[in-house]
Amino acid sequence: MSDHDEYTLDPQHWVERYGDYLFNYAAGRVSDRERAEDLVQETFLAALKGRDRYRGDSTERTWLTSILKRKIIDSYRKKYSSRESAFGETEGVAFDGDYYRGEDPLGGHWQEGKGPHSDSLLPEGKLEEEELSGFILDCIEHLKPNLAAVFIMKMIDEEDSAYICKELGITPSNLWVMLHRARLRMRDCLEKKWLT
Amino acid sequence: MKKGLAYRMMIYLSKRMIACDEASYLISLREDRRLGFIRWAQLNMHLLTCRLCRKYASQIRQLSHSLDMYRHQCNQENCMHHLSPEAGSRILEELTRELNAK
Repeated sequence: MSDHDEYTLDPQHWVERYGDYLFNYAAGRVSDRERAEDLVQETFLAALKGRDRYRGDSTERTWLTSILKRKIIDSYRKKYSSRESAFGETEGVAFDGDYYRGEDPLGGHWQEGKGPHSDSLLPEGKLEEEELSGFILDCIEHLKPNLAAVFIMKMIDEEDSAYICKELGITPSNLWVMLHRARLRMRDCLEKKWLT
Repeated sequence: MKKGLAYRMMIYLSKRMIACDEASYLISLREDRRLGFIRWAQLNMHLLTCRLCRKYASQIRQLSHSLDMYRHQCNQENCMHHLSPEAGSRILEELTRELNAK
């Protein structure tokens, strides 16, 4: 008998034990409640299918969470339009026509009205926790799915850059540019939300 | 007249002044990794003269801070979101069906 045989899974009790935890995890990364529920269901079914691969190196909950993480990223990946080649953004180029002037004497500077309006992104201390969560989730959903996936992995899950590049098949330069674009849009979205 | 290192550095950097698009990229980049000296100096030269990019830098720092709070909230054990009883039953039903099929 191998060392790992003592680690057994208990699928009958997964929903009762980890349903809320996994749902909370998913609901913190996708704004649609139904989509979060579907992700939890897909996670349990995928775990059931792959339970022979569970080696007991981590707890049951950690193992299920790692499956859910992948499902969340896949859900953003699926949303990503095939018009935009694969996952990569333009290598090393930070220019973004949505925010900066093009080729004029002021090329590369903020477009009129597109730059930040105040030093403060959100009214400090005035936002309820729930309100802040709502704003953040809503703005993540408004990102292009490829940017959302990168943003969630790096900024919310705090994954290592090398791991993200490997998972998404992108180069480190792609990653920095995509993170920059995601931050540009998140900043813009959050500022608009609390100003309106 | 012999020019000092600081003077030569100023000339070098002024020839390489960056615009807001590159400055905002560097502001984002420095959140994730250390900038090399030239890039660091270029960014700071730009920030000295650009009010909008100073605002941008301040907002990006605030974004990181808000995300720290958000991460803390959504990883709490006493979670805010709960699976609805209907969804729980539906998932359990599906799971049981799969288990029985095996």
